[in-house]
Amino acid sequence: MNAFLRQLDDPTQRLLWVVTALALSLLPHVANVPIWIVLFAAVTAAWRIAAQVRGWKLPPKWLRIVVVVLAVVSVLAGYRTLNGLEAGTALLVLMAASKLLETRDRRDLTVLLFISFVLLFAALLYEQGLMQLPYMLVAVWLLTATLMRVHQTTSRMPMREAMRMTAKMLLLSLPVAVAFFLLFPRLPGQFWALPARAGATSGINDEISPGDVSELSLSSGIAFRVTFTGSPPPPAERYWRGVVLHDFDGRTWRRPRGRFSTTPTVEPSGQEYDYRVTLEPNNRNWLFSLDLPTRWPTTRAFQSYDFQLLSAETISSPTSYRVRSHTQYTMTSELPMMQRNMDTALPGERNPRTRELARTLRAEHPDAVEFVQAVLQKFRNEEYFYTLEPPRLEADSVDDFLFNTRRGFCEHFASAFTALMRAGGVPARIVAGYQGGQYNPMGDYLIVRQSDAHAWSEVWIEGRGWVRVDPTAAVAPERIEQGLDAAVPEDEPVPGRMFGGNRMVLNLQLAWDALNSAWQNNVVEYDDTLQRSLFSTLGFDDVDWRSLGLLLTASLAAFFVALSAWLAWRFKPRMQDPAAQAYAQLCRKLGSGNLPRRPHEGPVDYLTRVGVARPELRADLDELRALYVSLRYGPLPMSAQLSRFRFLVNRLKL
Amino acid sequence: MALLRRLLEPFRRRMRGWMRKRQGDDPDPVVLTGRRIYILPTALGTGFAGMLLLMMIGAMNYANNLALGLAFLLGSLGLVAMHHCHRTLAGLKLALATTHPVFAGQRARFAIALVNDSQQPRPELELTDDSLTTEPVRLDAATREPTRAVVEIGHPAERRGKVRLDRFEVSTRHPFGLFRAWAVLHMDLECIVYPRPSDRALSPPPHETDVGGAQDGPRGDEEYAGLRPFHSGDSPRRIAWKAYARGQGLQTKQFAGTTVISHVFDWDSLEGLGVEARLSQLCRWILDAHAAERAYGLKLPGVNVPPNVGDAHRQHCLTALALFPG
Repeated sequence: MNAFLRQLDDPTQRLLWVVTALALSLLPHVANVPIWIVLFAAVTAAWRIAAQVRGWKLPPKWLRIVVVVLAVVSVLAGYRTLNGLEAGTALLVLMAASKLLETRDRRDLTVLLFISFVLLFAALLYEQGLMQLPYMLVAVWLLTATLMRVHQTTSRMPMREAMRMTAKMLLLSLPVAVAFFLLFPRLPGQFWALPARAGATSGINDEISPGDVSELSLSSGIAFRVTFTGSPPPPAERYWRGVVLHDFDGRTWRRPRGRFSTTPTVEPSGQEYDYRVTLEPNNRNWLFSLDLPTRWPTTRAFQSYDFQLLSAETISSPTSYRVRSHTQYTMTSELPMMQRNMDTALPGERNPRTRELARTLRAEHPDAVEFVQAVLQKFRNEEYFYTLEPPRLEADSVDDFLFNTRRGFCEHFASAFTALMRAGGVPARIVAGYQGGQYNPMGDYLIVRQSDAHAWSEVWIEGRGWVRVDPTAAVAPERIEQGLDAAVPEDEPVPGRMFGGNRMVLNLQLAWDALNSAWQNNVVEYDDTLQRSLFSTLGFDDVDWRSLGLLLTASLAAFFVALSAWLAWRFKPRMQDPAAQAYAQLCRKLGSGNLPRRPHEGPVDYLTRVGVARPELRADLDELRALYVSLRYGPLPMSAQLSRFRFLVNRLKL
Repeated sequence: MALLRRLLEPFRRRMRGWMRKRQGDDPDPVVLTGRRIYILPTALGTGFAGMLLLMMIGAMNYANNLALGLAFLLGSLGLVAMHHCHRTLAGLKLALATTHPVFAGQRARFAIALVNDSQQPRPELELTDDSLTTEPVRLDAATREPTRAVVEIGHPAERRGKVRLDRFEVSTRHPFGLFRAWAVLHMDLECIVYPRPSDRALSPPPHETDVGGAQDGPRGDEEYAGLRPFHSGDSPRRIAWKAYARGQGLQTKQFAGTTVISHVFDWDSLEGLGVEARLSQLCRWILDAHAAERAYGLKLPGVNVPPNVGDAHRQHCLTALALFPG
């Protein structure tokens, strides 16, 4: 390979490296842009290389213009805009590909490399994970090395040498880049609104239909991470509220379209929990919080009538927010009639056996709380099983589940329980969210995964308001106390169970997650708040942009001084031999005494002339002259002569 | 672009005057100190800066710290590159190697030696005079001896006389082409420009005489006539090398019967031509005579060069033509 590369001529080599760099910066975008754009870029690159090797003519100008116009039109047709990240990326890739068609000289190659830098930049806008970092660094390194290689004309610099030199330069530039990163003032807010990014939603759904193919997420992907200011609540209280479902058609639970303006008055009691949630993007506007949130960032989020926290924007990138919650609360207000009607509605003709059961039980237990207890007692005492692989259910899914299959997971139990409550006349609704979370001692935070997804019920009890009831806890209390793994039978697959026994693998996973979380919280989410707290720990209280600017300038100046000194040291002349050094010192000394050496004078002439001009130094100068001649031209120079020479130079008083 | 250059021309001239006053004339050799090296971003460098600015604005808008970090990394890389660019010139030593006299219409060539005594290579060094830039050269890191490269600057020499190279620049765009560092040198180099030799030689060659300094004494038809002591100007072919080897000193062989013609090319013989045309003609005769290894002399108003041969004589005569007033 190397030999093959070496026999190519210089322009071909340069082109190959630039194409490599371009490919490297295009790679992260393969999933982001339509496949035809990637293919177009690949074909153009291949053609351009062939043209270089075979000496074909590059396409004429009109053809290139046609290609560019077609590219712009097709992006417009595909995205309906040229603005925004996706369309911009697609356009950039097309531009790079068409630029390749007219690449002739060094300037064109440099422009291509600049486009590659912008592509890398765009890749970071898509994804800021720790996983991408090494790739990005290597790509930047190769791109700068290629930039250097392109700008070497005198000799064919091997790429290895360019890589070595740019590695040094990148390392040198790292300190000032870090200083800028820390010190550059961060502005809260944006200059212009960002177009919303389309993307697949992930995590829990906004509708539940128990009995369809199991859609419970078994992914061990992270939903969010939570850092508590104090200690986290006990596992049984870790209910992360997500979306609330009211409408039931006999099989599927959905969110209602209408909006209700009145939110019940909440009277929190007991311990309060302050924490920070770092949410992975889910492409919805749900903000998860510990049940029940009592304080949240009001500028970015609002609370709906059923206590969901909703963000103003779609969560398309990792987002963090601070919330305060209370796990104990009561509600003093009345339930509005419209809500009561909505939360007791059942489709008349569906699930007859369930309604029959509810009527019987309600007749036995006129008190709502006792009715709830009676239903939970039924789940606990009769043969109901918790499994992640339940059978499919008939159209009247609640009847089928309660009386036939009797196997299911949280959705089945929550659905059946809520339907029974409504049939018995108690307002009830389903809350979908997450339950539990794994504590990571290495970063002191909770990891909530997609596999922690859960559904439970809320019932309205007069005088107490909405009360959380988790029927799953009645069937499989270990699901609530210890998590999914403990609740599910041995032979069913559960994420992470394979490595469950291996302590080292678990620790490695936790360490990696702690690292990711630290990266996310301290680097990706570094903002004006973090900046201020960082500088207050360093002793600069209350930094504003002026003091930051001052610090920036100071660090930049320090960097320049250090860099100049380092370069001067690297470029210092080769060491002269000791005699020449001593003579140079003598010349400097005489020069500062207004008797500089003239360019044409040798040592003998010079020292003689100085001796004439300064008779009082004559004896010393004569001896210096003789010593120098002897050191230079005599047989083996003796160290005694050299030290005598140095001594005389030092003694010289002008 | 051309208009811009025209508009900037007075400014450029003043700038040059200022530089010259600031730096003074340069000795030979000269070592470039940091203070006299200027540096500015190139067009590519400006584009790079613009790209970084857009990246920064974009990253701040998306509140994307990693993208911002990339912009900062590339920005500080640019600053490091700027220092490297400056350092590539700082400490470089320049010395005048030689100048070769040329004929009008050719390019005057000033050979300049670039010397690197540092432990780092200095790549991509270019010399520029007003019109032209040389191919870049690379000086490797000095090992025991300083590394050296000789670069010739061409300067158009349209008219005879002297071409002066008041100023030239040594510059580099190493390492990324984002910055150009340069130093202006005023070494006052001069190159003699001979008149352009006339295309056709007028005949007959003027004024033949057999009286000259080169071949005196008896002559004959290819017949050896003994030795006489060497005078400067004698053709090296006629030196008795064998006698010299015997330790008898330099002797010139004498031949009898050779019709030796020495020419004296006379200004006055070219009556009716203009000054430059006369000089061109004289130049042509001198070149022809030199090529044929004949002795010749030159007579100009106020100048009288006795007949002689040899490169030094040729140079002497041509210089007299070059510097002829008028």
